[in-house]
Amino acid sequence: MAYYNVSRPSEKLTWRERIYLPELFKGLRITTRHFVVNLALHAVRLLGIKTRRRGAVTFQYPEERRPLSPRLRTRHRLTKREDGMPRCVACMMCETVCPADCIYIVAGELPDPNVEKYPVRFDIDLGVCVFCGFCVEACPEDAIRMDTGILEIASDSREEMIYSIDRLLSG
Amino acid sequence: MAEKVHCTIDGRTVEPRRGQTILQVADELGIYIPRYCYHPGLSIAGNCRICLVSVEKAPKPQIACYTQVQEGMTVWTHNEAAQKARRGVLEFLLVNHPLDCPVCDQAGECWLQDYYMQFGLYTSRLREDKIKKAKAKVLGPAVILDAERCILCTRCVRFCNEIAGTHELEVFQMGAHEELGTYPGVELKNPYSGCVVDICPVGALTDRDFRFKARVWYLSEQKSVCPGCATGCNIRVHFNQKRTHHALGKRVMRLKPRYNPHVNDWWMCDEGRYGYRWIDEGRLLVPQKRRDGTYVDLDWDQALSDVASGLRAVMDKHGPSSVAVLPSPQQTNEALYLVRRLFAEHLGVRHVDFWIPPATQGYHDDFLIKADKNPNSAGARLLGLFPRDGSPAAEEFLLNHGPLKALYVFRHDLLGRYGEEALRPLLGNLELLVYQGTNRNATSRRADYVLPSAAYMEEHGTFVNFKGRVQRLFQCLEPLAQSLPDWKILVRLAVLLGLELGHSGQEEIFLDMAREIPALDGLDYAALGDQGVESDFSGIPLWPKTVNRQRSNVSREQPAHLPRVTNDE
Amino acid sequence: MAEAGIALIKIAVVLGFVLNLAALLTWAERKQSAVIQDRIGANRASVFGLRLFGLFHIAADALKMLTKEDHVPQTAEKFIHGAAPFISFFFALMGFAVIPFGDVLRVGGREIPLRILDLNIGILFIFAAIALEIYGSVLAGWSSGSHYATLGGMRGSVQMFSYEIAWGVSLLGIFMVYDSLDLNRVVLRQGDLLWGVLPKWGIVTQPLGFLLFLAAGMAITKRVPFDLPEGESEIIGYFVEYSGMKFGLFFLTDFVLTILISALLATLFFGGYQLPYLEPDGFRFPWGATWSLDHYTVVFLQFVALVLKIVFFCWLLLAVRWTYPRFRYDQLMDLGWKVLFPLAVANVILTGLVLTLIE
Repeated sequence: MAYYNVSRPSEKLTWRERIYLPELFKGLRITTRHFVVNLALHAVRLLGIKTRRRGAVTFQYPEERRPLSPRLRTRHRLTKREDGMPRCVACMMCETVCPADCIYIVAGELPDPNVEKYPVRFDIDLGVCVFCGFCVEACPEDAIRMDTGILEIASDSREEMIYSIDRLLSG
Repeated sequence: MAEKVHCTIDGRTVEPRRGQTILQVADELGIYIPRYCYHPGLSIAGNCRICLVSVEKAPKPQIACYTQVQEGMTVWTHNEAAQKARRGVLEFLLVNHPLDCPVCDQAGECWLQDYYMQFGLYTSRLREDKIKKAKAKVLGPAVILDAERCILCTRCVRFCNEIAGTHELEVFQMGAHEELGTYPGVELKNPYSGCVVDICPVGALTDRDFRFKARVWYLSEQKSVCPGCATGCNIRVHFNQKRTHHALGKRVMRLKPRYNPHVNDWWMCDEGRYGYRWIDEGRLLVPQKRRDGTYVDLDWDQALSDVASGLRAVMDKHGPSSVAVLPSPQQTNEALYLVRRLFAEHLGVRHVDFWIPPATQGYHDDFLIKADKNPNSAGARLLGLFPRDGSPAAEEFLLNHGPLKALYVFRHDLLGRYGEEALRPLLGNLELLVYQGTNRNATSRRADYVLPSAAYMEEHGTFVNFKGRVQRLFQCLEPLAQSLPDWKILVRLAVLLGLELGHSGQEEIFLDMAREIPALDGLDYAALGDQGVESDFSGIPLWPKTVNRQRSNVSREQPAHLPRVTNDE
Repeated sequence: MAEAGIALIKIAVVLGFVLNLAALLTWAERKQSAVIQDRIGANRASVFGLRLFGLFHIAADALKMLTKEDHVPQTAEKFIHGAAPFISFFFALMGFAVIPFGDVLRVGGREIPLRILDLNIGILFIFAAIALEIYGSVLAGWSSGSHYATLGGMRGSVQMFSYEIAWGVSLLGIFMVYDSLDLNRVVLRQGDLLWGVLPKWGIVTQPLGFLLFLAAGMAITKRVPFDLPEGESEIIGYFVEYSGMKFGLFFLTDFVLTILISALLATLFFGGYQLPYLEPDGFRFPWGATWSLDHYTVVFLQFVALVLKIVFFCWLLLAVRWTYPRFRYDQLMDLGWKVLFPLAVANVILTGLVLTLIE
C-alpha cells in the first residue's frame, strides 16, 4: 500500500506563536480578506459586470443542481422482468445484509412451479435506511438498484417514508 | 459385552466393539466425518459416498458409514486422499444440483452448503447443461419435493419403509435421471411424514407449512416438550423474534423433534409438529370481566381481587362444597401443584378433577401417538387432582346439577365439549364462573371472569408423560400481551385468599412439590436436564388406565443391527 | 413635566436604536459569516418576490419565534424559568443608560444632555448591569431542570469570575489618564489633542488597556471564542430548554451586549462621539484651516460618528466570531487569571509611572 510521509508542524510553538497576538491578527486578516474580496465581487456582479470569480462557491440548490455522479447511491428501485413481474425472488439476501434492518420482505408462492417464490411485500423504510448500498451488492438477481437519482425523499410522516413494492417498482 | 478390537483412527488408538462402523467410532471420538445418507435411526445405505476415509492397506478409500472396524485397522479420516475423494464426490453431487441457494428454503441449514464450504470450494468445471427435473412437486399434505435439488441419499425412502412403515417413497429412473417420487396413486401421507423434511440433508424436501415463512437464520431455538399427547416428545421450538413481519407477527415458526432415546428418538408426529398455531392465534390477551353481555378489560390487580372476593362470598354463603375447580392436564406440574395447595388444601374445595373425557377417542398408534391428547395427565394424577373419598367425577358433578355455585375452570372447554344445552342447569345455578386459560373458546365466552394465562412455550415447567417420565419445558417466549404464567396468577390469587405461598419462580415450586411427593423425591431442574428423568411411580395408578391397544397400520421396523448413537441428527 | 417627557423621548430613541441595530445584527451575522466563508447566506425570505439580500429574514425569524410553542420543561422552576430571559435582556439594555450619544443639545434655551442618565460613576453602573446580566443565564441554566442547561449556567458564572476582574482593572488606566468615572467627561477629554495633532483617544493613551478590554469584552458577550456557556456543539448551553420568544430574548441579549461592548469600546478608547478636530463650533484642523458649522450639524455629525464607530466594532466582534475556534474551559480561565489580569495590573502600574513622570 502506498503511503505518504506527512510532515507535521513541530509540536513546540515558536515564540511568535506563544505570544498569540500576531497569530490572532493573522487569522483575522484571512477572514477579513475573504470578507472584503467576496463583498467586492458580489457588488461588482450585482452591477452586471462579469467577473471570472464568483463571490460564493455555493449552488442555489432548488434552482441549480450539481451533476450527480453515476455511482451516487440514491433512492432504491426494484427492476422488472420483460413480462413486468418484479425481478425480485424474495430471497431476503438484502434484508439479511441490511445493517439498518430497514427492508421488510414477505415471500409468497406462485402456482408456476418454476418460480420458487416472489415478494408479496417488499417495503423499504427510508426513514431508517443508511444508504450503504449493501442491498444492491447482495442482490443475486439485480432486482434492486439505487440509481434513480432521487434525493428528495422527505415526507410529513414516518409512514410515508416506508416505500412499498408498488412505489419501488414504478421507479 | 461385545468383543473388542484394536484400531487407530487419525493416530488415536481406540478399542471399539466389533461390528461398529468407522463412522460410529469416529463420532464417539468427536471426529466428524461428513455424511448424507447415513442416519443413526435408519438402516445403512452407503450410497452418498461423502464419508470416504482412507484405510491403510485398502486399495481405495472406504465409506466410513458401512465399513466395520477390524483388528489392527488404521484409518485416516482427513488425510489428503480422503479429502480429495470427498471433493470428488461433492463435485459429482453438484453436477445437476441447481445453484439457487438464495431462493432455496434449506439455505442456512443445508448440508450441501456446509460441506461445500468445508471441503469443496472449487469452481465448477462443468460445461454441460444441468438436467431438468420436477420442481415444487407436492408429495403429500406436509411435504413438497424439488427433485433437482435431491442428492438421492434415500434417507426419506428408508424412513417411510423402516420407521413409518408406509412405503410411499421410492427412487425411480436410472443414472443421471434418477428421481425421487411416490408410487403411482400414493401420496406421502402418514402420521410422521414431516420427519422426512427433518432428515433431508438438502433442500429437496421442504415443509409446506414452514416454506418461505422465514429464512432459517432469523430463527431462535429453545428446547421444549410437545404438549400434543401423553407421549411428550422432546422438541425444539423455532421462533422468530428478529424479523417479526415475516408470517404477520406470529412468533412460533415451526417445531422440530429433539433427540431423546427414552421417548421419541429423532422423530415426532405431524399432529404435534403442526399443532402450534394456537400459541399465536386466538389467544386471550387481557383479564376481562363480563358485564351486561360484553367483556370489559381489567387490570390484573382488579381482576384477581374481584375473583377472590367472589370466591369468598360464595364460600361464606354456601360452603366449600358449592365450589368446583377443574384443573387441566394441559397445565404444568407446577401450576397443578399450586391448584392443589390453594383450592384442595387451603380452601378445602372437594370438587377437584382434571379429567374431562374427550368426546371421541383420539387417534393413536403403537409408536409415538397416544390417545390421551394431554401432555400431563400423569402429572395431575400424581398430584392427586382427581375425585377421592367417594366424591363424584367431574363429568358427574357438572352434568348432574350438583349444588354448584362457583366454578373455576382451567383451560377446559366445557361448553365446547358438552354443549350449552347439557350445561344449562349448571350454568343457571352458578354465581361465579372463572375461566383461566390460554385461548378463546366457548367457555371463555361464557365466563364471568377471564384470566389469560401463558402457553407452555412461555413458561418454565415440567410435564410427566404416560410412562412417568418427568420432562422439562424451557421458556422460549415472553407471555403474550398481559397473560401471565398460571403459577404467578395462582400465587397472587392465593395471597388475596389468605394463603402466602411465597414462590417467586417455577423451580421453587418444583422443589416444594418434590419434597411432598415421593415419586419426585430428590429431583430438581438440574437433575431433570434436557431429557427428563423416569420417576418411580410404583403404587400410583397412571392415567388413563385403559388405553385402547388397537393396532394401527403403522408398524415400526427397527433394523436389528442398528446401534444406538447418542448424537442428535 | 418637560424633563420627564424629554427623558422618555431619549429612552425611546436609544431603545429604538439599540433594538433595531440588534435585529440588524442577527441578519448581519448570517450574511457576514456567509461572505467570509464564500457562501451567499440567508436570502430566501421574500415579500412579493422581493428578497432584499435576505433582510426579510429578520421579520420572518421574529414571526417564527413569536408563534412557536412556548415549551416549559416539567422539571423546570416555572417562575424563574420564565423570568430569566427578561432578567438578562433587561440588564443588558440598562447599560445603555449612561452611554453618551453627544455632549449637549441646545434647543430653545434649554440644554439637553444627550444621554439618558448623567451619572458621575457611569462606568460602575455598566459594570453592575453586566454583572447582573449574567444572573439571567445562570438562573436560566439552573431553573431548566436539565443537566446541560445547568452546566451552561455554571460555565457562565465561572467565566464571569475569570474575566470580570481583568475587565475592570483594564479600565483603571483610562480613568487614571482622564481622571473621571463619568463617561461623558472621559469622552470630552478625549477631544483634546496630543502634541497638537493626535487626538487624545483611549487607543493612543492606553493601547494595552484596549486589547485587554476587547478580549474581556468578547467574553462578556458570551460569543465565540468565549461561548462556553452556550457551547452549541457540546451542551447547547443554558438556553437549551427554551423555545419561542424566550429563546429569542436570550438570542437578542447576545447582540445587545455586542452593541453595548462596541459602544463602550468606542466611548472609552475611540473618542466616543468625538470626531477628530471637530470642535463645538466646527472643524479646526491643526494646520490652521477651519470650517465653521452650526450647533445642530455638529451634534448630528458627532452622533453619526459614534454610530459608525459602534457599527465598526460590531463588525469586528462578528468577524472575530467567525475567525476563531472556541476556547477550552481551562484555557479560558488561564487566559483570564494568568494573562489578562496580570497584564491589566501591569498596565495600571505603567500608566501610574508614566503619569507621575509627566507631572
